[in-house]
Amino acid sequence: MTTLVLDNGAYTAKIGYSHDTVSVIPNCQFRSKTSRLKTFTANQLDEIKDPSGLFYILPFQKGYLVNWDVQRKVWDHLFGKEMYKVDFADTSIVITEPYFNFTSIQESMNEILFEEYQFQAALRINAGSLSAHRYFQENSTELCCVVVDSGFSFTHIVPYCRGKKMKDGICRINVGGKLLTNHLKEIISYRQLHVMDETHVINQVKEDVCYVSQHFYKDMEIAQLKGEENTVMRDYVLPDFSSIKKGFCKPLEEMSFSGKYKTGEQILRLTNERFAVPEMLFHPSDVGIQEMGIPEALVNSISNMPEEMKPHFFKNIVLTGGNTHFPGFRDRLYKDVRSLTPTDFQVSVVQPQNPICYAWEGGQLLAENPDFEEMVVTREDYEENGHFICEEKFDI
Amino acid sequence: MYCKRSAKYSPWMLHRYSLVRSQDPNQRRVLDSATRQRRLNRQLEALEKDNFQDDPHASLPPLIKRLPQFDENNESGKRRKKTRGDHFKQRFRKNFQTLLEEEDLSVSEGPNYLTACAEPSKFPQRHFCAVCGFPSNYTCVSCGARYCCVRCLGTHHETRCLKWTV
Repeated sequence: MTTLVLDNGAYTAKIGYSHDTVSVIPNCQFRSKTSRLKTFTANQLDEIKDPSGLFYILPFQKGYLVNWDVQRKVWDHLFGKEMYKVDFADTSIVITEPYFNFTSIQESMNEILFEEYQFQAALRINAGSLSAHRYFQENSTELCCVVVDSGFSFTHIVPYCRGKKMKDGICRINVGGKLLTNHLKEIISYRQLHVMDETHVINQVKEDVCYVSQHFYKDMEIAQLKGEENTVMRDYVLPDFSSIKKGFCKPLEEMSFSGKYKTGEQILRLTNERFAVPEMLFHPSDVGIQEMGIPEALVNSISNMPEEMKPHFFKNIVLTGGNTHFPGFRDRLYKDVRSLTPTDFQVSVVQPQNPICYAWEGGQLLAENPDFEEMVVTREDYEENGHFICEEKFDI
Repeated sequence: MYCKRSAKYSPWMLHRYSLVRSQDPNQRRVLDSATRQRRLNRQLEALEKDNFQDDPHASLPPLIKRLPQFDENNESGKRRKKTRGDHFKQRFRKNFQTLLEEEDLSVSEGPNYLTACAEPSKFPQRHFCAVCGFPSNYTCVSCGARYCCVRCLGTHHETRCLKWTV
């Protein structure tokens, strides 16, 4: 019996057998202007020669699985002969779902896993619970931790005590990578070039040049300076998909402060955009979303926890999800949480080696755990008791 | 492939002060708070969109299903399993809003999707120029947008004040 671990994110699926390694694969379909008639699924993205104006078809809406047709196409591709060649008669699955997943989505999930694909056993679990499991395995003396999971659709802050999630402390901020990319697209389109159709390209710009500022207003002042004093300013070379396959940041020594280049590349000049965009994670109100930022929400969430647990939470803040890759994210979060917390608490923020796959690694560990057999629902169980047994066993 | 903003709307264009100042304050149209809120909501909704452009396949005629061929018979057993009754299909075609309403969370006890949302911040809101993104000290009287200098105000008036042009 093998176990397939699938952290089914709204933007990428993290998938692999528990005895093997993980792959990060787009969890969506694409259409391209240049190859009409064809819809590309998941990692077929690499086959598209000219991904300008790439059209996304996503199975998730606001972080919840709604478009099952697309999801099944992606899963067919992942489980099928092109990729994982799953032998359903001899495979269990660990699959992740968002917090407070809707009942009807949970039921559809049971049906598809057991009836459609016919997995032998399944464990449906929150990605954060897998991250917490991984953290407690590695730090066995710690009693509590707070998982900050900042992904594509939203950011969740979830306290865990001895492996149990504290439902009252769960906090969701409706800011994720998608919002950041769309915002960057919007401001570049207003200020410089029309790039509203180029989600794929601008997402790459965001990943390449954006960072989290440590001194926000100071960086704002620097970004307003002229010439060499403006150390924030960067020129980004956009891809044309013929000679430049992938966009990149002009090396500082080649940068011309006039913004004029002899070579004919198209350039984006980025100044305050570089740090004002990720700043939305810390101050969603900057764009009019009336919600707390991550540090404030985190402190608020812990303040609702029992007094004796608080020091343990502040000491074990774990960062997961793609947004934590922004340079400076960890340091800024530490700084902000530190300033909002009484000095007698020790604050420690841990950023794992690979924050995107941290939950998957937790799933891998869990699948090897002796208690794993107890946690899953087998196909027999499901056929005997239906949704009821899943509802009882899985804590979503 | 990435088309330049037409020079007419270039935010970096210089504006004559008179252009901005000449408006008679009594004749200026002012948006009420409900309209301002509607505008903000529209902007926030746009930030949730998957794509800005239309589906490149939208203009194509729908694919005509291939007629069954005789040598496909041996596959039909597998195929039948995948197609189900209509009611099944219906269940899989609901958008986020419908699902949320169906959950009927307003009456349920304990933490749920709605209660988990972060509360409004206790810190005062910060303001940035709607044109250039730098800290701003002024508010546009007509629409409530923020701006930092006369130059940006000019661009704002021309592009996104009462009429949203770009």
